[in-house]
Amino acid sequence: MNTLYLDGQSLLHRLPTRAKLGGLALFSLLLFAVSHPVVLGFAALAAAIAYSSTGIGWREGVARLRPAFITIFAVTLFALLFQPPVEALTILFRLTALMLAAAAITATTSIGAFIDTITWAAKPFERIGLVRAADIGLSVGLVIRFVPEVTLRYRSIRDAHQARGLKVRPVTLIVPLLIQTLKNADEIAAAIDARGIR
Amino acid sequence: MDIHFEEASVRYDGRTALEPLTVHLSERRIGVIGLNGSGKTTFARLINGLVKPSSGRVSVNGFDTVKDAEAVRSEAGFIFQNPQNQIILPILKEDIALGLKRRKLSAAQIDAAVNGVLARFGIPHLAERRTHELSGGELQLSAFASVLVTEPKILILDEPTNQLDLKNRNLVERTMAGMDENLIVISHDLALVEGFDRVLLFSGGRLIGDGEPSQVIAQYRTLAGA
Amino acid sequence: MSTRDLVLVALFAAIIVALGLIPPVSLGFIPVPVHAQSLGVMLAGVVLGAKRGTLTVALFMLLAAIGLPVLSGGRGGLGVFMAPPSGYLYGYLAAAFVTGYMSERFVNARQTGLVQGTYFFVAALAGGVFLCHLLGVLWLAFVTGLGLPAAFMGTLAFVPGDALKALIAAFAGRAVMVGYPLLPQRA
Repeated sequence: MNTLYLDGQSLLHRLPTRAKLGGLALFSLLLFAVSHPVVLGFAALAAAIAYSSTGIGWREGVARLRPAFITIFAVTLFALLFQPPVEALTILFRLTALMLAAAAITATTSIGAFIDTITWAAKPFERIGLVRAADIGLSVGLVIRFVPEVTLRYRSIRDAHQARGLKVRPVTLIVPLLIQTLKNADEIAAAIDARGIR
Repeated sequence: MDIHFEEASVRYDGRTALEPLTVHLSERRIGVIGLNGSGKTTFARLINGLVKPSSGRVSVNGFDTVKDAEAVRSEAGFIFQNPQNQIILPILKEDIALGLKRRKLSAAQIDAAVNGVLARFGIPHLAERRTHELSGGELQLSAFASVLVTEPKILILDEPTNQLDLKNRNLVERTMAGMDENLIVISHDLALVEGFDRVLLFSGGRLIGDGEPSQVIAQYRTLAGA
Repeated sequence: MSTRDLVLVALFAAIIVALGLIPPVSLGFIPVPVHAQSLGVMLAGVVLGAKRGTLTVALFMLLAAIGLPVLSGGRGGLGVFMAPPSGYLYGYLAAAFVTGYMSERFVNARQTGLVQGTYFFVAALAGGVFLCHLLGVLWLAFVTGLGLPAAFMGTLAFVPGDALKALIAAFAGRAVMVGYPLLPQRA
């Protein structure tokens, strides 16, 4: 699986993850506290500058946000139908600023840095016995490891249907996929225990 | 190696997987054979503490598999039938390092151990590879590396050649021949255990044959009607 | 949490991700393409129950948050939590919990297949369709300032497809319960 992280040395790359996440939370709160279209327009502009400072480039930068912008434009058009144009503009700028700021943080923070920060944030919960902080990174690794295998299994079950001349139906596709995957879980859990990983 | 089974038995919801068994294992290479469902996998899993005895006890080099589970696991490594399920993380190097995580080593020490074990199995070129893209033989060698990085003294292998082609089967046989660890190998591949020091034969949850490979393998052939 | 539960949660999260990679299908009688990801959420509830099902969705959301393109259409990153349709994503979390809780509560091994399937369907419908859309609409109305009636109209087109998914989840939940029971039974 490819990630949305972009290698680089920009200011945002060098900032600590905690600062970036805290900043993003604060920025989004401010965006909802303010409802002046001009101020929000400037916020969107600032977020766009931050996004482009990551060195993402025009083509990739736009490609990543296309689905998000389609929904933002749809919502803006909807708003134009039901509300005064100023409101629609407010919605457009606010959502655009949010989207760009979030994309900037995503592009400049690696999976490893995120997991370290989450593990750090989970430590207090570990102390009261709610989670094991190290489990978080392990689970993330497991999912990344097993997505290709689940996909492969899905394809081979579909092929098996076709080879036997059966019509591919969601239920007959999903049930064997679930049962095969669940059977694997027992082996994988045994391997984790046998290797003394947890 | 010093493994003791003392009247150890295993029952799963009313079904007996292993009748009470008392046996002492000290030979360097031990083969375990038997038909499907004969209890040999349960036997192997008892040694590593993956299965707990319903009665009796099992100890490995003096450690009880229930009370000192963690110590037992650093004494005895386990290689599973399907290496696909044994490799846990997406990149091989990260996966091998995972086993060392609880040992409080420095990053440099972990690196050295990982590179060492990769070199031992001749697979340094696989370090950065995505684990789901490895071939059958590469996966089996990776499984060896991931388990042996913690330097267990005993290695238990459950059908290590089961899903391999002839070339990779021979690769595993050579790899095992070159290992200094104590080996306990469960296998349907009788040629694999022919040269071992001792072979155990299971049937219906009972140990029915125990001794020289040639003699026990002959007993198994009669049992299987072949 | 046992190692087995941790692995079950991770593997189910992998299934939800994989279901998002399957191209959406257009069912003739429904005007919008149906993608399978929310089916994965309902399945997590009916197969794993409330606790593990909710953790599965939480892990899935975490993967999206840290920049893995795990949402259908290859979306991911922090932006997906702040966009107009994000309410549905938060809805997944509630859906897995409610579907899982109701499944644990109402379904048991002694019932006939029809009864089990019906309860699973009701559980998936309540969590995966009703609650998910409720949160989706409220969020859409709040974040965009569109107002509830407009937001409600925008979501209506997706309801038939999701109801169909609840039906699939019910069939699958019942089949898995027979073939590989995992739901903890409450007395």
